[in-house]
Amino acid sequence: MSLFAVEIEKTYRRWRTYIGFAVILAAVLLLEVIIKLDEPQMAHAFSGGLNADFLISGHILNAWVITAFIMNSLYIHVPFLVALVAGDMVSSEATSGTLRFMLIRPPSRAKIITAKFLAMIFYTASLIAFFGILCVGIGLVFFGGGDLVKFQPGLPHIVVLPAHIAASRTGMAFLAAILSMSVVGSLAFLFSTLVDNSIGPIIGSIAVVIISFILGNLPFEFTESLRPYLFTTYMGIWQLLLDNPIEWPIVGKYALALIGFDAVFFGIAYYVFVRKDIKS
Amino acid sequence: MSETILMTEGLSKRFGSRWAVKDLNLDVRAGEIFGFLGPNGAGKSTTIRMILTLLLPTSGNVKIFGKEVRGHRVEILSRVCGIVEKPDFYLFLSAHKNLELLGSLSRKVTRDEIYEALEIVGLKARAGDKVKTFSHGMKQRLGIAQAILTRPDLVILDEPTSGLDPQGMKEVRELVLKLSREHGTTIFLSSHLLTEVEAVAQRMAVLNHGELIAQGAVSELLSNGSSYFTISATPMDKALAILRRVSWVEVVAEGNGIDVRIDSRRAAELNRLLVTSGIDISAFAAKRTLEDYFLKITEGASEV
Repeated sequence: MSLFAVEIEKTYRRWRTYIGFAVILAAVLLLEVIIKLDEPQMAHAFSGGLNADFLISGHILNAWVITAFIMNSLYIHVPFLVALVAGDMVSSEATSGTLRFMLIRPPSRAKIITAKFLAMIFYTASLIAFFGILCVGIGLVFFGGGDLVKFQPGLPHIVVLPAHIAASRTGMAFLAAILSMSVVGSLAFLFSTLVDNSIGPIIGSIAVVIISFILGNLPFEFTESLRPYLFTTYMGIWQLLLDNPIEWPIVGKYALALIGFDAVFFGIAYYVFVRKDIKS
Repeated sequence: MSETILMTEGLSKRFGSRWAVKDLNLDVRAGEIFGFLGPNGAGKSTTIRMILTLLLPTSGNVKIFGKEVRGHRVEILSRVCGIVEKPDFYLFLSAHKNLELLGSLSRKVTRDEIYEALEIVGLKARAGDKVKTFSHGMKQRLGIAQAILTRPDLVILDEPTSGLDPQGMKEVRELVLKLSREHGTTIFLSSHLLTEVEAVAQRMAVLNHGELIAQGAVSELLSNGSSYFTISATPMDKALAILRRVSWVEVVAEGNGIDVRIDSRRAAELNRLLVTSGIDISAFAAKRTLEDYFLKITEGASEV
C-alpha cells in the first residue's frame, strides 16, 4: 500500500471527514428547496429588476444560475470545511501519538508530509466535486437547464452563457474552485505542522482568510497596495470562468498566484516537518 | 562476545540550556534483552527518540547494525521496530486495520502475518474490534504486536509495562522473554523498575539525570559490593541489638522490618548468625528498588 493510499484510507475512515459533505448536502438542499418554494419572487430577485426594462423569456432560474449563485458560499463556509480536515492532517496524529509510529518507520519524513499534502488536496477536490455535482444535480431536478444569466449588481453588463456551454463553464469554474480552496487547505495544513493540536490550525487558517478578505476589501491606499500579496485576492478565480468571453490572461495570472501560494505554504510545511523534533 | 547491534557514541541532547542526555555510550549486543533503566525524567525516552530518529541529537551519533542511522535510515528502520512512550493507535480503526496500515509502512504485510502477530499477543479474537474499545493493557499488547509484525531484528520498547496492573505486567514480561527466546530478537527495554529489568534482561545500562552511571551484566551490577536487605525477625528488639553489635552491618532503618546494608556476599553469614542467636527469621530479602540501587551505585560501591 502506498503512503498516499494509507493517508487516503485514514482520511476517509474518519467521521470528521464527512462533516463537510454533510454540511454541503444540507446547505445546498435547503437553499434549493427555499428557492423552489418561492420561485417567482426569487426569479425577480435573481433578475435584479432587469425584467422592468427587458423582455425575459424562458427560465431565469435554472440549474446553472442557481449553481453560480450557491458557489458564492465558497467564500463563506467551504473554507471552514476544508480547514476542518486540512488543519487536522498532521496535528491530530501528533496529538494522538500515531505520528511517532509513522516516523519510526522506513519512509522518510519528506515522503510522509508529501503524501499527507496530496491526501489533503484530494479531500479538497472531492469536497468541491461533491458540491458541484450536488448543486447541478438538485438544480436540474428542481429547475431544469437553460442559459446561465449572470446579473451583477453594480456592474453595467449582463453575462449570458448559452445552455450548450453553461455546463462546461460550470465544470471549469468548479475546477478553478478546487485550486482556490486548496490554498485554504494548504494554509491550514501548514499550521497543522506547527502545533500539536487540531483546533489551532483550523481556527488560525479561517482567521487568516477572514482578515485577508477584510484587508483586501478596505478602500484605503495602503490596504489596496496589499491586495496583490493576499491569496484571497485570487480566490474568486472561478467567477472569471463564468464571464463571456473568458479573460484568459487574468485567469492564468490568478491560477499562477494560487499555485504559488500553495507551493509556498507547502514548502514551509515541508521545511518545518522534516526538521521537527517530535516530542509529543 | 556477541556482535554489537546498537551503539551510541557520545550521544547528547540539549533542550535550551538543559542537557536531557549527555555523552551517552551504549552497547547493545545481538540476541540479548538489554535493560535501559532510570527513574522518570532520566532521559530514557529522549534517548530512544534519538535512536529512532524522532529527535535530532545535539551531538554524538547512533549506530545500528554497524551503520550510522542518519545516513542509512531507511535500511536500518526496516529492520527495527518499537514503541515510544506509549502505544497510540488510530482509535477509529480495528486492531487488524491498524496493523495493516502501520505494517505497510515497512513492507507489504499479509493477512496471515497480521493474525500471527495478534495471536502471539493474545488479541486474535479481537482483531476486528476498534482500538477505542481496548483497555490500556490490550493497547500495550497491540503495540508489541505491531513491533514484531514485520519480524524486526531489533525491538525497542519504551516502558512497555507502564500503567499496567500486575497481571498485565507479567504478561508483557512473558511476551518479551518469548520474543527473545523463540525469535532471537534483540530487545532494548527501557524501564524505571529495577525488578522488571532484573526479571528479563541479561545486560543493562543505568541512566540518571541524562548521564550513564552503570552498564554491564545485570547479575554483576546487582551483586557487586554492598547491598540493602530487609529482615523480618522475632523478637525484633533482640535482633536489632545483635545487628548493631556486628561491625560489618549498618542498620539503616527500622520499622515493620529492619533495613540493613551489608556486603551482599555476607548475607548468608548474617542470616546464620541471627538464627544461631535464637532469632526467628520470617524474611531476609534483598531490596531491589531503583532508589536503593541508585543509592548503592552513586556511593561508588559498583564499578561501571
